[in-house]
Amino acid sequence: MTQSDPDPVPDPDPESGTETDSAFNAGLYVHVPFCTSVCPYCDFAVTIAGEERRSAWVDGIIREAALYPDLSLGFDTVYLGGGTPSSLDAEQIGRILDELHRHLAVDQRAVCSLEVNPEDVDPRSVSTWRDFGISYVSLGVQSFDDRDLALLGRRHSVDDARQAAEILCSAGFDTVSVDLIYGLEGRSPEHWRRQLETAVALGVDHLSCYQLTAHEGTLFGRRVARGAVTELGEGELAELFFLTHELLADAGYDGYEVSNFASTAEHRSDHNQKYWDHTPYLGLGPSAHSFVGGRRWWNHRKLRHWQAAIDAGDAAVEDEERPSGAQLALEALMLGFRTTAGIDLERLHERFGVGLLGTNGDVVDRWVTSGHLKTDGARLRPTLTGLAIADTLARSFEIGWTPTESGSLP
Amino acid sequence: MDQVRSFCIIAHIDHGKSTLADRLIQHCGAVEEREFRDQILDSMDIERERGITIKSNTVTLDYTARDAKTYKLNLIDTPGHVDFSHEVRRSLMSCEGALLLVDASQGVEAQTVANLYLALEHDLEMVPVINKIDLPAADVERVKEEIEEDLGLDANESVLCSAKTGEGIEDVLEAIVERLPPPTGDPDGPLQALIFDAQYDPYRGAVLLVRVMEGTLRPGQSIQLMHTNKKYNVEEVGLLKIRKMATEGLAAGMVGYVIAGVKAVSDIAIGDTITDAEAPAPDPLPGYKEAKPVVFSSIYPMSTDEYQDLTKALEKLKLNDAALTYEKDSSAALGFGFRCGFLGLLHLEVVQERLRREYDLSLILSAPSVRYKVYLTDGQELWVDNPSLYPDRGSIEGAEEPFIKAAVMMPERYVGPVMELCRERRGENTTFSYLAVGRVELTSEMPLAEVLFDFYDRLKSVTQGYGSFDYEMLDYRPTDLVKVDILVNGEPVDALSQLVHTEKARARALHYCERLADTIPKQQFKIAIQGAVGGDIIARKTINAYRKDVTAKCYGGDITRKRKLLEKQKKGKKRMKMVGSVEIPQSAFVAVLKTDRD
Repeated sequence: MTQSDPDPVPDPDPESGTETDSAFNAGLYVHVPFCTSVCPYCDFAVTIAGEERRSAWVDGIIREAALYPDLSLGFDTVYLGGGTPSSLDAEQIGRILDELHRHLAVDQRAVCSLEVNPEDVDPRSVSTWRDFGISYVSLGVQSFDDRDLALLGRRHSVDDARQAAEILCSAGFDTVSVDLIYGLEGRSPEHWRRQLETAVALGVDHLSCYQLTAHEGTLFGRRVARGAVTELGEGELAELFFLTHELLADAGYDGYEVSNFASTAEHRSDHNQKYWDHTPYLGLGPSAHSFVGGRRWWNHRKLRHWQAAIDAGDAAVEDEERPSGAQLALEALMLGFRTTAGIDLERLHERFGVGLLGTNGDVVDRWVTSGHLKTDGARLRPTLTGLAIADTLARSFEIGWTPTESGSLP
Repeated sequence: MDQVRSFCIIAHIDHGKSTLADRLIQHCGAVEEREFRDQILDSMDIERERGITIKSNTVTLDYTARDAKTYKLNLIDTPGHVDFSHEVRRSLMSCEGALLLVDASQGVEAQTVANLYLALEHDLEMVPVINKIDLPAADVERVKEEIEEDLGLDANESVLCSAKTGEGIEDVLEAIVERLPPPTGDPDGPLQALIFDAQYDPYRGAVLLVRVMEGTLRPGQSIQLMHTNKKYNVEEVGLLKIRKMATEGLAAGMVGYVIAGVKAVSDIAIGDTITDAEAPAPDPLPGYKEAKPVVFSSIYPMSTDEYQDLTKALEKLKLNDAALTYEKDSSAALGFGFRCGFLGLLHLEVVQERLRREYDLSLILSAPSVRYKVYLTDGQELWVDNPSLYPDRGSIEGAEEPFIKAAVMMPERYVGPVMELCRERRGENTTFSYLAVGRVELTSEMPLAEVLFDFYDRLKSVTQGYGSFDYEMLDYRPTDLVKVDILVNGEPVDALSQLVHTEKARARALHYCERLADTIPKQQFKIAIQGAVGGDIIARKTINAYRKDVTAKCYGGDITRKRKLLEKQKKGKKRMKMVGSVEIPQSAFVAVLKTDRD
């Protein structure tokens, strides 16, 4: 589509209308592209910018939200991700949240999440965030080892991280989550175990544990490419993956997704779960993706391009796609097998007209026999070993649609 | 007829045969400069790349000699490899003489010797030609000495030339005219024409390349093939210039082509004799031998939807390759394919390469096998070349396998290691003799099956590249055969089964298990890979469990990208085969089954 397309919302799909029109169940994402320094492993759209560009971006987000006056979506989650949202002035965060409520149908009780860096956490900023209605904070700790933090290019120290976690935990947020990274070269499984134990001891409600990944186009990716850094082997990574899930399970955390762990179901990230079950979401800001009515579109990645389009009164959409039924089904498998909730077979049948047990019964049987999947009523759930090879599981099913046939989705 | 000469060029690989042919063709103006390309007679890409001639090609050149007469020179190109020695023989039968080409820097090589013997067997007149005299490393005197010592030819008769620079080319042509005899034969006698090759033309069908020995071939003539007894009507005859040139007839002594409504090359037998159906010759020409496949392998398309393409490609290849045989085959692991018969390993490789390049097919080939003769307890005899058709052990009385006479030529210092290699390969009656000072020919009677499994590589390695190898089929001898099955988590992988000698079973099974263990990805449970004979496990490898195949992060922005990646991988998954609950990528079959010569 072109940038000047005035209406990115497609005609309402008659089969999906009931689910979307009235209910407040969609997710609203705001991409904050600013960081005070760029981590060598990060492949998100980030930039280091001064006050001028930051405030232009805030105006832009508000203008972009105003581009969707007729969106038939109600939002019950708002997520400020990045980048480093906590590096915004508290007032800027407040203004954005206010304006989002003004321009879009955001539920008053919507869960508002904020990604924060330890260096931005102090009692004052925290109380302002609370006042603006932030109820879910995700703290980018990454490691409780200063050497790791140096390697990862983080600006905070272990002490900063501990202190920040303690402040957040006692500030009355509904959920405090901590991000950790595993898979650094030269670190033993024992070392990683200590990281996890430290996080558990802090009593956080939620953990996200990500495997360090060498993305193309990042400094870390280039280091790997030229052999300056070696990525861990498949076997070592698998060991760390299982260690993570086993240790956190023992500590009472439910590994409900490949990389996400919650002490109770209430502390799961409601917002992120929408991505994994094809719930509609609207993304604002550079590089943000949206998925509404079976159509997916994404904004210009570069702040400059996004800003220019928005300032000209256009949608900053770079491109879009309308996945076919087969593609959506593949996504449903790919996303579903990432979560312990797995695949809702009835819903899959409703949406795509395919009974997985009927068409791929042999594949299901095979994975059940091998202990990677289990059937649970009308759900097909991955076991822990299944979770570890979610992509293999998704690829193993043959879903024979013609590419033109499209599925119906909200 | 006095102004006709038919000759071939005998040379070791790399000694410049194709370049010399190119130069002779250019000198006689048979091809316009702008049409010329190197190795003009080698029409297949594989031939150009490997510098070998697989399909012989022939050209008639008009050369006006120093005596002012114009001669018709029939240059009959010969294939240069042991697998195709039957073709070499037929080509030689069509000649009166041969140029024996020797590289001025490399000297006489084993293959030169072997081919010389073949040529001498056919009573060809030899002209030694020393090529590459322009090279700084050229040592003409030493080479002349070798020609005298190793080949027993008069080195003073050698012609010196550089096919690269063109120096001495005219001397070569003069030597052909002066020293090679003209053909004999009576143009009015009863027709006898040797079919020494055939080419497939999509519009005309099979184009037979012939040497007329007696009588004359004419359009409209009713002909009979003396071995197959088939009858055809001659539509056209002519000379093989770079393009075909129709003539009114081909008389005794001439080399040319015949088009006679033969549909495919496979319809006729190369080596057969053409005679006049109305006035037949009393006997066919001597030397006819059916080209029998001795090496067998099953070919499967990588992706099952390429089966139709493979079928068509084999049909087309067969039109131009009489020696290739194939029949339908199927494997539980690899789906539908074809069991193919080849003249040897090189022939197998050439077919594989042509299927890959000319027909753009990705293939998996099962391990090459020889054809065994199996005696059953009930008195029946069976020929078995496909392990899946090997009868139950209990019903087998005994088996025989084909033996070859292997000849290895090498410098003396490698005799020890090569004898050891022959012993390892169950060689019998291994003897050696000196060809010349420092040069040895070792012969050994060994099972053909032993040559199919990395023999060339091992030979090259133990002789540091100096050993050359040739073989001829001997006979069938009793053997102690077992069928080795490869099991993945207890399930046999039929495409990996092999018939091997009992002594070799354990080593071969282990080799396969190791290669499989290296190539099957981990799949979150232990995978036992076993080699078994009947119910006995004789080799074992285990792939240990855990693996991770899921990206760490997947949020809104990652979904499209990740799905596209999965779609791409899913395409690749078509190349996965399930054996029980284990996913085996096609690449694993390729890695396991590839012969070490690849």
